Amino acid sequence: MKGFNSSKIKKFIDENYTGWLFNMPLAVGLLVFTFIPVIYSLVFSLNDDIFILNGNVTMTFIGLKNYVKIFAEDREMGKVIINTVIYTLVSIPLNLVASYFLALLVNTKLKGVEAFRVFYYLPCMIPAVVGGLLWKDMFDTTYGVFNKMLGFIGLGPFQFFSNEKTALSSVFLMNMWGIGGGMILWLSAFKNIGRHYYEAAELDGANAWVKLINITIPMSTSMIFFNIITSVIGTLQYNGTLTFASRDGRGPENSLYMYAVKIYREAFEKDNMGYACSLAWILLIVIGLITVLLFSTSKWVFYGEET
Amino acid sequence: MEAKSILLAESRKAKRNKIYSGGILYLIMILLAVILLFPYAYMVSKSLMTSEEVVDPRIKLFPAVPQIANYLTLFIETNYLKATLNTLFIILFNLIAVPLSASLVAFSFAKLRWKGRNLMFALMLGTMMLPAVVTQLPLYIIYAKLGWIDTLFPFTIPNLFGGGALYIFLLRQFMMGIPKDMDNAAKIDGASALRRFWSITFPLCKPVLIYVMVNVFIAYWGDYYGPLVYMHSSNAPKTLAYVVFIDSTDKDSATYKSNMRMAGGVFMSVIPAILFAIFQKQLIEGVIMTGIKD
Repeated sequence: MKGFNSSKIKKFIDENYTGWLFNMPLAVGLLVFTFIPVIYSLVFSLNDDIFILNGNVTMTFIGLKNYVKIFAEDREMGKVIINTVIYTLVSIPLNLVASYFLALLVNTKLKGVEAFRVFYYLPCMIPAVVGGLLWKDMFDTTYGVFNKMLGFIGLGPFQFFSNEKTALSSVFLMNMWGIGGGMILWLSAFKNIGRHYYEAAELDGANAWVKLINITIPMSTSMIFFNIITSVIGTLQYNGTLTFASRDGRGPENSLYMYAVKIYREAFEKDNMGYACSLAWILLIVIGLITVLLFSTSKWVFYGEET
Repeated sequence: MEAKSILLAESRKAKRNKIYSGGILYLIMILLAVILLFPYAYMVSKSLMTSEEVVDPRIKLFPAVPQIANYLTLFIETNYLKATLNTLFIILFNLIAVPLSASLVAFSFAKLRWKGRNLMFALMLGTMMLPAVVTQLPLYIIYAKLGWIDTLFPFTIPNLFGGGALYIFLLRQFMMGIPKDMDNAAKIDGASALRRFWSITFPLCKPVLIYVMVNVFIAYWGDYYGPLVYMHSSNAPKTLAYVVFIDSTDKDSATYKSNMRMAGGVFMSVIPAILFAIFQKQLIEGVIMTGIKD
């Protein structure tokens, strides 16, 4: 009986060790750089006064106080949540729609149209930190090129990022610069839709609007859904305001204060590591809920076939 | 006769309409290109201005005399050169580490059969949804315990362990598309898994590997947030993106030395633009691959 077991174990090892060996980098990596940190993060979120002394972590257990603080005590949170929600709700649809029209414009066979596609995509290749530097410079109230031009025709000056009323809208305006990425996705979605659908619709006298609603959008849903999910996950963690907003990324009157910037400030500028971890966990739960909601309201998801 | 001439006139009219609409399309496309490329051109122009020109209250789109010396000053008098070398070191390490470790793992998912494979794959996909901020804070503590804060280790060592779920996923998808015949033939000839990986599968993954490498380059070239978290002490090694970040947030950016900052910005943007020009096809296919996963 014992011999049978050990030979079974040996057989199991013989059959599986190569796979595990190749997979080892990932297995170790997930454990050390993902799972252990996730558990640490949960533990830290229940503690306060987290310090590292001579290589040892010391902390004080405070239960759920950090979580209570988020919703009941922290006066900044209201503004931070509103900013992040507005930013997510506006920028994702805005980008999808604007990039759709841009894709439509260059989805022709006109001569030289490929060059325009490259021009439109080029801003996406500029590093975010340079984008922030550049737009902060161009949007400057006194020396910015936009206000100089607007002043020339008797308008302005506009304060853009420097006024709490216009700061967030200016970010949306700035983001229009990067719609080339969405354009590429739309173009590939168009390419996957057979010409014959449009030809049939044209025979029935369908106009551009009808074709959009009845063919293009239904046939692109997988792309749209996947994009919405990744955009929501990405946008809720947006911390790009660090590169251009005043007051270390918070903007005037906290008008550009985003959730991820809040986490950064609590952890690294205020040394509230425990509180920052509880904020991160709330974000994780929210993202998880939104993802589940999006998946359950759509029937597509397909991760390749098993061999 | 009359009918024929009417027909001719109709077709001429249609042709003319087509030319008009084509002309309008070109006009819109050119206008949009000017709008989208203006910031870039403006950055180049401002980087060549003198310190007086950038604070001139009048509209100044071009420098009177292009100050190419600004770029020299940037590298000689500031810490840009050192920062660029640090950045290139990180990139060089990851250009080797990420493709290799990601494709080893992808090989185990695509070409090997073993118990636990589906579980590991599901776990990996699960981590793709995990917000980075959740792991980043405890990682800071872990790195601090290891003595990695203010060193380049947080930007190199972790990439030896798979190099990122997205890259593994893309490589796995590509490897699944490689016909099994070659692999099977090599297996019959007694080739080990490592040999089959190294001489058959890995070289065939070249298109995806190029995409992964270009992406690794661009990601680390532009990463200012990682250094902001893990290397922010004044005596820590600096990366280029971090130096540009600090320069742009330190002072009122539109005035003091903004020509120099723009020169830094141009330098930082030119490299990705060149990479894009060379690897346009792979990059666009990559955007599509990661945008539509089916």
